[in-house]
Amino acid sequence: MVRAGTSPCRLPLPACPSILLALFPGPRLDQVVNQVALYVLLALGAAGVLVALPRKGLNPQPIGMILAAAAGGLLVLLMSLKAGEHRPNLFFYIFAAVGLGSALRVVTHHKPVYAALYFIMTIFASAGLFVILSAEFLAFALVIVYAGAILITYLFVIMLATQSPAEEESEVLAEYDTRAREPLAGVFVGFVLLAVLTSMMFRGVDDLPGPGPAGADQSLLAQYPGKVMAPAETRPEIEAMPGKKFAAALDEQKVRNIEAVAYRLLADHPGAIEIAGVILLMAMLGAVVLARKQVQLDEEAKARHAASLASEVTRSEGAR
Amino acid sequence: MSGALEQALVSTLAVVEPPALADGPWWAALVPLLPLLASALTGLCAAFGVRSKLPAWISVGSLAASFVVAVMVYFQLQAAAATVPDLPHGASTALHTVIYQWFDLSWGTQPGQHFTANFGFYMDGLTVLWMLFVTGLATLIALYASEYMAGDLGVGYCRFFAGFNLFVFSMACLVMADNLVLLYLGWEGVGLCSYLLIGYFYKKPSAVAAAKKAFIVNRIGDLGLALAIWLIFVKFGTVEYAALFSHETFQLYLGWARDGFHDKIPADVQLIPFLLMLGAFGKSAQFPLYVWLPDAMEGPTPVSALIHAATMVTAGVFLIARTLWVFELSPYALPTVAWIGGFTALLAATIGMAQFDIKRIMAYSTVSQLGFMFAGLGFLTSVGAASHVFTHAFFKALLFLACGAVMHGFAGQLDLRKLSGVARIPGWRIVGFTMLIGCLNLSGFPIVTSGFWSKDTIMAEAFVAHGPGFQALGILLVLTAGLTAYYTFRVFFRVFVGPVHYEPGDELHGHDAHAHDAHHDLPHEEKEERAIESELAAKAAAAEHPGEHGFHPHPPGWAINTVLVILALGTFAAIPLVLFPADTHGWVGGMVESSTAAVETHAHDAHGFWSDPHQWMLAVSTVIGLIGIALAWWLHYAGRTSAARSRADALVPALGPIAGWARNKWYVDELYDLLFVKPLWALSHLFYYFDALVVDGLVGLAGWLPRATGRILRPAQSGQLHGYAVGMAGGIGLLIVIVLLVTKAAATT
Amino acid sequence: MTAALLAQANYPAPMHGLTLAHYLFVAAAMFAIGLIGFTTRRNLIIMFLCTELMFQAAGIALIAFGRYHLNHTGETFVIFVLTVAAAEAAMALALVVLLFRRRETLDAEEWQQLKG
Repeated sequence: MVRAGTSPCRLPLPACPSILLALFPGPRLDQVVNQVALYVLLALGAAGVLVALPRKGLNPQPIGMILAAAAGGLLVLLMSLKAGEHRPNLFFYIFAAVGLGSALRVVTHHKPVYAALYFIMTIFASAGLFVILSAEFLAFALVIVYAGAILITYLFVIMLATQSPAEEESEVLAEYDTRAREPLAGVFVGFVLLAVLTSMMFRGVDDLPGPGPAGADQSLLAQYPGKVMAPAETRPEIEAMPGKKFAAALDEQKVRNIEAVAYRLLADHPGAIEIAGVILLMAMLGAVVLARKQVQLDEEAKARHAASLASEVTRSEGAR
Repeated sequence: MSGALEQALVSTLAVVEPPALADGPWWAALVPLLPLLASALTGLCAAFGVRSKLPAWISVGSLAASFVVAVMVYFQLQAAAATVPDLPHGASTALHTVIYQWFDLSWGTQPGQHFTANFGFYMDGLTVLWMLFVTGLATLIALYASEYMAGDLGVGYCRFFAGFNLFVFSMACLVMADNLVLLYLGWEGVGLCSYLLIGYFYKKPSAVAAAKKAFIVNRIGDLGLALAIWLIFVKFGTVEYAALFSHETFQLYLGWARDGFHDKIPADVQLIPFLLMLGAFGKSAQFPLYVWLPDAMEGPTPVSALIHAATMVTAGVFLIARTLWVFELSPYALPTVAWIGGFTALLAATIGMAQFDIKRIMAYSTVSQLGFMFAGLGFLTSVGAASHVFTHAFFKALLFLACGAVMHGFAGQLDLRKLSGVARIPGWRIVGFTMLIGCLNLSGFPIVTSGFWSKDTIMAEAFVAHGPGFQALGILLVLTAGLTAYYTFRVFFRVFVGPVHYEPGDELHGHDAHAHDAHHDLPHEEKEERAIESELAAKAAAAEHPGEHGFHPHPPGWAINTVLVILALGTFAAIPLVLFPADTHGWVGGMVESSTAAVETHAHDAHGFWSDPHQWMLAVSTVIGLIGIALAWWLHYAGRTSAARSRADALVPALGPIAGWARNKWYVDELYDLLFVKPLWALSHLFYYFDALVVDGLVGLAGWLPRATGRILRPAQSGQLHGYAVGMAGGIGLLIVIVLLVTKAAATT
Repeated sequence: MTAALLAQANYPAPMHGLTLAHYLFVAAAMFAIGLIGFTTRRNLIIMFLCTELMFQAAGIALIAFGRYHLNHTGETFVIFVLTVAAAEAAMALALVVLLFRRRETLDAEEWQQLKG
C-alpha cells in the first residue's frame, strides 16, 4: 500500500514549499490524501469561511459558502479516491455534507434563532453518522438530549435575551450579530489548527493498533449473568430442551448495542456515572439559583429604567 | 652545639623565671567595675534629664574609690611578695584573680586545642603602677572637668562623663587583664571611647573628622594586635600571660634568643613582636600612625589630658613592656622600636616648634615624649620607659589642663600669637605658675624636676645599650631634648609672660561663663544659640575696641585651680619616687623590676665620670636643656612688645622653606592622602561605577526585561474573550507542530 | 463457544484505517468550524452554540474510534460528553440570562473585566 521511495510531492518544486515537506513528511499522510492538495484546499476553505462570516458592508455570504463547500467536497473526494475499496458508504457523504454545511451555517448566520435551528440539523446529521458507525443508542440519545432538550433551552434563552424591537421597526438585528470580530485571525487560527490536526491524525493512522482480536470486548460480555447461556453441559435443564427451543433461546441471546454500552458503562465506570449524576444535579441547582436571583441592575441600566419610567409618567400626565 | 643537646639543656634550665602566682583579692575587680557602674549611672542621669553636676560627683567619687582600691591592691601585692622572701633573680610575684570564666572552648585533647580566656586579673608591679596613675589621674581630671564642662550641663554633661568613665573602665581592663583577649577588649574599648570623646562636639565637622581619623588609624594598629594574639595562640596554645611565659616552647625560644641563636626561631614566631609593635604604634601614636593624635585636640581638653597624658597613649608602652620577652624573640624587634621611637621624637619636636596652636604643640610634645619612651623600651630599659611614663603622666596632664584653663577662659583662644602675659592678669597666677612647673618638667630642667631624671635615664641608656646605631640615636635624642626645651618655653614665654594682650577665640563651645550663667535652665539648643549670639556680640565689641576692652576673660574656679596645684605637687612628688631607693632605680623601677618587664640590665663595670653615661648624661642634658630655654627666652621674651610678633619671626626667612615644611607638619598628612587616601578613593570610585553600571545595570536589566516583555505583551490582555480563545487555539496548534517535528526527528534517527 | 456467540451477535465487520480517516476529517473540520465561530462571533448564545458544535465533533471522533477498535469505550465516553454538555448548557445559559439582565446586551465585548 505504501509506495516507499517515491517522492511525496509530485508537483514541481516551486509549488511544493520545502518547509511543509520538512514539517509533514509524506508517505503515511500521502496514503490518505495528497498533502499539497490538502493544504491548498484547506486554504481555499479558509478563504470561503472568511467570506461567509457576517460583516458590515459587502457580504457575499453565498459565494463564501459555495467556496468552502467546494473545497470540503473536493477534499473528501480526493480522500475517497485514495481510499479505493475502503471508501465509506454513500450515507457517510450525505450526512457529512449536511453536518458540515449546517455547522457552517450555524457559524455564519446572522440570526441566533436560525443558527440554533441549523445546529439541530447538525445534530441530526451527526446522529446519522453515529448510526453508520453502529452506535444506535447514542444516535437516539443525541437526538433526544440535544435536539429535544438542550436546543429547546437555547431557543428559550434566545427569546428571553433578545431586546424587543421598537414599535416602528419590525425587526432589527443587533450590531454584534451582524459583524464578526477579527474574522481573519479566527479563521487563520482555526484552519491552521485543522491542518495540523489532520496532518497528525493521518500520519497516525498506520500506527494505530488495528481492530485487534475481534471481540476481546465480547468475551467479557459473554460472562454477563443470565444473558448468555452457559455451556450446555453446565446447564442440564437447557440440555434437556428440544433442539428448536434451544436454538431460539440462543437467538434471543444476541448482544445488542444498548446492552453492550450499558455493560461497558456499568462495568468500567460506575464511579464516573455517580459523579456525572452529581454534576447534573449541581448544574440544575446552579441554574435555578442563578436564573432566579434578582440581580441588581448596574447604574447605567438603573438610570435608563428610571428615565423610561419618568417619561411614562409625564406622558400619562400629559394625556390626562 | 647540637640541637638535641641544647634542647635538653634548655628544658632543664628555665631561662626566665615564670612569675610566682598568688591568689589575688576579689575586690581588685572593683577597679574596673566602679567606673563601669559610674558610666551606667551617668547614662541614667542622661535618661532622667539631670541638669546638675551630679554626674561629675558620681564620677569623681567612683574614680576616687577605684584609686583607693588600687592602693589596697598595691599593699596586697607587697604583702604577697613578702611571703616569698628569697625569690630567684629575675622572678616576680603577681596576684591573680579570676572573676568569671569568659571563654572555655575545647575541640580536642591535644595541646593547643583548648582555648581559655577568663575575665581575670593579673596584677604584678607593672600593672599596679599603671593602675595607680590611671585611676589617680582620672580622678583629678574628672574633678577638673566638673568645672570645665559646666557650660554643657544637661545631656551633654552626662554623655561626657559616661564616656569618660567607660574610658577608665576600658583602660583598667587593658592594664589588669590576665590574658591577651581581655587586653584586646580594653584596647578596643579605649579606641571606641576616644572616638566618642574626640567627637564630643559632634556638630563641628572638624571634630567628627578627627574622631573618625583617630578611629581609623587605630584600626590599622588593632589589626596588627589581633593578628599577633592569633599567632601567639597558634604558636603557643595559650593567650594567658602566666601560661605563655612559662610555656616550654616559649622558654626554649627565649633561651635561643638570649644565646644569640635567633636563626633557629621560626620566622612566624619572629613576626609576633612586629605585629604587637604595629598595635602599640597605633595606640601610642608612633611614626607611621601618629597622625591621629594632634587632630584629637578637637575633643574637650579633659579628654585630651586623659588620652594624651595618662591613659590611652601609654597603652602601647604598657603592651611592649608587658610582652618584652616576646620582643626578645626577634633580633630586629627592639632596635626597630628604638629607632621608630627616636625618629618620632625628633619629627614631632620639629613640627611642634613651628605650630601656633598651644594645645597642638602639647599634642606634638606628647608624640615626641612617647617616642622617648619607645626608644627606652628599645634600649631594653623598661625601667626608664616606665619612669618616664609615670612622670610624663603628671606633667603632661598638668600642661594640658593649664592650656585648657586658658582655652576655657579666653573663649577657645589657643593661638599663641593672640595671647600674651596671661599670668599677669589677676586670677591667672596659679595657672601661670603651674604651667611654668609643667614646662620645666617637660623641658627637663635639671635636678628639681621629675622629667629631667626620667628622660635622662633613657638618653643615658642609649650609650650603654648595644644595638645598631644606638650611639647616633642617643645623640638624636639629646638634640630632641634641646628642641623640646625650646618649643616648650616658646609657649610659656609667648603666652604667659610679656605684655598683656589677648583676643577672644571664636569656637562654638567657647565658655563665656557670663553668658551661660544667666540661662542655665534653657534647653540645650537655645542655649547654644544664645552662646553664639553673645560670642558674636563679644567679637563685635572686640572689633570696635581692639585690645582687652570688649572681652573679659574669666579666671578658673576652685576645682581647676585645685587640680592644677595637686598635679604640680605631684610632679615634685614623683622625683623621689623615680630616684629612691637608688639600688632599684627608684620606687617606680622597683615596681617594674618586680614584674615580667624586668630584663637583665647591661653590665657596665666602668667607673668614673666619663666612662659612665648615667653620670655624664646628667651634665649634657642639663646644658642642652638650658640652651633650649635660653634660646626661647632670647627669641620670644626678651624685648617683645606685642603678642603677634617676636624676634623669632626675623629668623624664619633665614631657614628658607624648612620652617614652612615644619609648620605644615612635613606634609605627612598630605603624603598619606596621596599614598593611601587618594588611591583608595579612586579605587572606591572605580568600584562605585562598577556597581552603578555593571551590578546595578544587571539588576536593572532583570527588572527591565519583564517590563519590556510586559509592554510588548500587554495588548494581548485586552480582556476580550475572543482574544484569549484565539491565543489558546493558536497555542495548541503550535504545540502540535512541535510534536510533529519532534516525532519526525525521532522517526529519522 | 464465545466465538460462536459473537458470530451470532451480528457484530460489525472491522473497519479499515482509510475509512476511519474520513470520519476523523469530518470531526476535525466540524471542530475547526466551531472554533472559528467561537472566536469570531460576538453573540454569547452563538458562542455557546459553537462550543456545542465542538462537543459534537469530539463525539463523532470518539464514536469513530470506538467503531474502529470494535469496542464500546468511545460510546461510553460520548455519554459523559453528553452529560457534561447538558450541565454546561444549563449553567451557561443561566449565566447568559444573568449577564443579559445586567447589561441588556449579549455582546461578549461588553465584558472586558478580565483585562484587570
